[in-house]
Amino acid sequence: MLIFIARRLLFALALLFAVSAFTYVIFAALPSDPAALTCGKNCRPEVIAMNRVRLGYDKPIVVQYGQYLKGIVKGRTYGASEGVHCPAPSLGYSFRKHQCVTDLITRSLPVTASVALGAFVLWMLIGIGLGTMAALKRGRWPDRLATGFSVVGISLPTFFVGLLAIMVFVIWTGLLPFPRYEGITSNPAKWFMSLILPWFTLAIVSASSYVRLTRNGILEVMNEEFVRLGLAKGLRRRTLIVKYVMRAALLPIVTIAGLDFAALLGGAVITESVFNLPGMGKLSIMAVNDSDLPILVATTLVAAVFIVIANAFVDILYGFLDPRVRSY
Amino acid sequence: MTVSNTSDDNAMTVGDTAIVGLSPSRLALARFRRDKVAVIAFFVVCFFVFIAIFAPVLTSIFNLSPYALDRQALNDYGNPIGYFGGISWNHPLGVEPGTGRDILGRLMYGARVSLLIGFIGTIVTTGVGLVLGMVSGLRRGLLDSVITRVADLTLAFPSLLLIIALNRPLTQRLESMGVPKGNFARMTYIILVLTVFGWVYMARLIRGQVLSLREREFVEAARSFGASNTHIVFKELLPNLWAQVIVFATLSLPGYVAVEASLSFLGIGLMAPAASWGTMLGDSVRYYRADPTYLLIPGVTLMILVMAFNLMGDGLRDAVDPKSDRQQL
Amino acid sequence: MKSRKAIIGALLVGAFFISACGSSGSGGSGSGESSGGRSGTDEGIKDGGTLFILDHSTGATNLDPQRIYTGADLGFLGSTITRTLTSYTPVAGKAGTQLIADLATDTGTPSDDVKTWSFTLRDGVTFEDGAAIVCADIRYGVSRTFASDMTGDEGPLYATTMLAVEGEYPGPYTATADQQAAYEKAVECSEDGKTITFHLKNPVADFNYTVALLAFAPVPKAADTADKYTLKPVSSGPFMIKSYEEGKELIMVRNPNWSADSDPIRKPHVDEIHWQFGLDESVIDERMIADAGDDQATIVYGGLQPENLQTIFDNETYADRRTDGFDGFVSYTMINIKKVPCLEVRQAFWLALDREALRTAGGGPFTGEFADSFINPLLATDYAPGTVTEGLNADGTPNVEAAQAKMDAAKESCPEVHKHATEDGLRFDHGQSELWAKLISIWIDSLGAVGIKIIDNAIEPSKYYATINKDPGDLMRAGWAADWNNASTVVPELFTKEGGFNYSQNWEDPAYPAFSDKVNLAKAEVDRSKQATMWQELNQYVLDQAWAVPGSFTKAQNLVGSRVRNAYPWLPFGWYNVGAIGLAE
Repeated sequence: MLIFIARRLLFALALLFAVSAFTYVIFAALPSDPAALTCGKNCRPEVIAMNRVRLGYDKPIVVQYGQYLKGIVKGRTYGASEGVHCPAPSLGYSFRKHQCVTDLITRSLPVTASVALGAFVLWMLIGIGLGTMAALKRGRWPDRLATGFSVVGISLPTFFVGLLAIMVFVIWTGLLPFPRYEGITSNPAKWFMSLILPWFTLAIVSASSYVRLTRNGILEVMNEEFVRLGLAKGLRRRTLIVKYVMRAALLPIVTIAGLDFAALLGGAVITESVFNLPGMGKLSIMAVNDSDLPILVATTLVAAVFIVIANAFVDILYGFLDPRVRSY
Repeated sequence: MTVSNTSDDNAMTVGDTAIVGLSPSRLALARFRRDKVAVIAFFVVCFFVFIAIFAPVLTSIFNLSPYALDRQALNDYGNPIGYFGGISWNHPLGVEPGTGRDILGRLMYGARVSLLIGFIGTIVTTGVGLVLGMVSGLRRGLLDSVITRVADLTLAFPSLLLIIALNRPLTQRLESMGVPKGNFARMTYIILVLTVFGWVYMARLIRGQVLSLREREFVEAARSFGASNTHIVFKELLPNLWAQVIVFATLSLPGYVAVEASLSFLGIGLMAPAASWGTMLGDSVRYYRADPTYLLIPGVTLMILVMAFNLMGDGLRDAVDPKSDRQQL
Repeated sequence: MKSRKAIIGALLVGAFFISACGSSGSGGSGSGESSGGRSGTDEGIKDGGTLFILDHSTGATNLDPQRIYTGADLGFLGSTITRTLTSYTPVAGKAGTQLIADLATDTGTPSDDVKTWSFTLRDGVTFEDGAAIVCADIRYGVSRTFASDMTGDEGPLYATTMLAVEGEYPGPYTATADQQAAYEKAVECSEDGKTITFHLKNPVADFNYTVALLAFAPVPKAADTADKYTLKPVSSGPFMIKSYEEGKELIMVRNPNWSADSDPIRKPHVDEIHWQFGLDESVIDERMIADAGDDQATIVYGGLQPENLQTIFDNETYADRRTDGFDGFVSYTMINIKKVPCLEVRQAFWLALDREALRTAGGGPFTGEFADSFINPLLATDYAPGTVTEGLNADGTPNVEAAQAKMDAAKESCPEVHKHATEDGLRFDHGQSELWAKLISIWIDSLGAVGIKIIDNAIEPSKYYATINKDPGDLMRAGWAADWNNASTVVPELFTKEGGFNYSQNWEDPAYPAFSDKVNLAKAEVDRSKQATMWQELNQYVLDQAWAVPGSFTKAQNLVGSRVRNAYPWLPFGWYNVGAIGLAE
């Protein structure tokens, strides 16, 4: 078992390394020149060349990448003599925003985490609730309702749901104020209010596939022999469902949800745009508009880290639950 | 979401005694026909395809040019005159604020873009996924592990983020490589990134299928007769895979249509004056207070098409693989 | 001053408005309403509180005084943290353009045929650390304009073109001792550090207006961090910067070392100013419409979105909070003379462009009045109605026959340009925005009607000027407003080779030398009314040559929070006198 975990972690580490290298190379190979962005409209080529040296963009890509990795571990000073020092883990320095990228990310991450966490709880409740209901009342109206919801939800683009929510709850009925993010530490009530709409928007869209997964999962398990055996032996249907069926059916769903959640942590790009939340997604969009390369490299990396870690975690979890996996 | 499809027994093993003797495809067709929802969805899809193909003819017959400005339909603020975004006899679904262009006409033309991206995106991703999945499953060894690792790597990237970040520079690069400037390059980019991030799911599905099929008796038998790889692929494997490929493709197509719309919402996508549902939605976002109809119409249209594809895909899956349960709804 | 709105590209997205009473001669429909009812008055102001500013852009364009050139920024920073030798009277309407002394005791003393200007500093003027502001600080500040590597030439360059510095001067960072000495000969300080004297190359009759630009503001040498000074400039005004995070927020608090006795202009009411960045434009509008909580104490950097105008202007609920007026800018299209050296094609372009449809798409008459000049009517002395190309429809609709006739004539007179315009197509540079995605189809359609092919080139707004500077297209969208009340900051800037904003390459035109000579005469003219006539003639010359085509005298609309008071439009800057805004209970 330990060997399996070690191997899995090693693989995750290798994957992370590959992802970081790839990200760096992809962005470095782009036609936009980060040095050219450091000075204004009448910039002379000499100034750009000077800045390129100053920022280390003149060195071969491998060296640049090495410096980048070293920065993550040890911190790094950007610019030459009068440079700015960003302590470890340094993910770069934005010459557009004049700030260490790590600082920008630590500010945005809690916002995205707030969005992702609330939405996750909601969509699991909705998805599993409706899915279970559908499975137990299979073929009857609750099933149709749940399946209908899932089909509609899966067909709606996130931004459309978000805009509809704003239209209905903010503009037409005025039930909620216009979402405006507030940190949880500064004002928990406002934090909660500001996130209701984003949570529901994401939850409705994501829950749809979980309704399906749950419903099919439960139905599949209920067809298995142990359930039939249990029923035949006179176990109460309710006990059986809660104790055995749900447990067996939900495990794969929870793991998939873990992966989805991790992916969301990298930035709920569309939701954050619709509701104007200053999270990772919004940070990336702003960086795209400013051609702010260091930020883009960093947000991509951070998002990838979440995905890789979640994958490794899920694999290891499966290894515990199902020994057959370990041989893989 | 991948299709969780573990059945390697084909349709014949299901004991539906009444229609024993029919070929699997006819069997599936018969089942599909019985699924009312799926049949309706199929006709809805056909309707949209028809409109997309004949958009130029239809718009000129009904005088709904998607490009002609209509100043008369707008008030001094540039907003549509009349209720519900200026719905009138001349403009059955209203007009675009600011220009007075006909929304129905634009929707018809937009259907072309949405479906084009949907179909091309699906065909290319499915094709690439199919080939790589086959190669991976058949060859095993080094090639297999390379493909598997690349797949892992691809999945580790936050795809939407990269699609947005690489949009401008890569479109420029495409243009400098000789792809015609403007919307052609933009569409090429969208299809390209959809493929780069989309092939993995298909490839994994096919690889898994091939791995189990190659051990089956009929493949081993063919091999023992000295059949070539080409023979095995085309005569033994593909006939057993096509159903799942079609189901998978049908279910991923609406995803691409929706992605195009979402990208346009984020400002990536086609440029005016071309009409696409995505650009319409992206533009209408600004009017959700002043002219909500303008947002609702393309939004609901998009939803109907995506839903029709999803329902049709579900129906197809049930027809091909009756073990899945939905047909009993 | 250059226009952010031109960069953003749309007619309306700008950040400025000016009272309509300043306008004359331009028809002015819907201009009766100038400032927002009660919000423009000081009714019920209670000192204290926090003023909020909502902004779509990700950060301040600049905070470094030597690098600021946008009207709203000049007015905002000038009224809060950056004092200059002279400034403008803090009142609404025309009286606001009256020059008054600020750091100096008076508005300056010219001598030597207005080639030398002296200013004496007030007693008791200090920086935020309490250190007295002396002549050397202003001299040092002005010298920073010369360091183009540091400033990127983002600010106005009048110091470099007007001051009589002998030889090359590369700014204080890299200058040799000799070069620095040469500069200090041109900008002299008296023994007691109280008097600063500027020696100019040529006579400049209104140089005291020039020094009102923040580029002439003091910078303490010890605190100068070169290109990073823009993050935390040292204050000389009633506020100072507490923190600034790009993409998030700029927080200003009161400067304890500022004393009202030494400052006749600034009358601050609020304790803090919080400028919030990176908000979606539609979100800003929604918040302002809702007017809840802190948003009641909020103003907006940037105008209302056109799609919301009807909601706000058709509803009397907003009467006290809304503003509408001319913003001092002229939008126009530069034509690259090098690539389109054919008058008929340029005139055909003007005649065929559907300006009416463009205006409607941008929000109708609220976007502005069709312009007949590059000189805004707000410059009442210099403006005269221009004579436009014959056949141009006054209502902005295209005159296809007249345009077609010009194109036919062009086919004879300049077949190559005609071919370029109809076959290769003209590349049209403009800022990328949602609105432009719509406007561009009007361009393509209306010009296509006379066979002119348009190649759309939407440029990322933040790189717009850098891009067209390197690679100008055939047609380029821009906007301009005067730096002060004299067309000397319009005509030479836009249309001479030396101008900081001339992308039309019109010096390739044989008609250019005559024009250029006359500009030099006008610049040297000391008689203001004679000078005004010369600007009018020069403006007409440009119209006749169609080196550029004027679009609109633009207007902007805005909404302030219900507790905001004293938010009157300040004419020289086209925005509120932000430092003077107060809040009602």
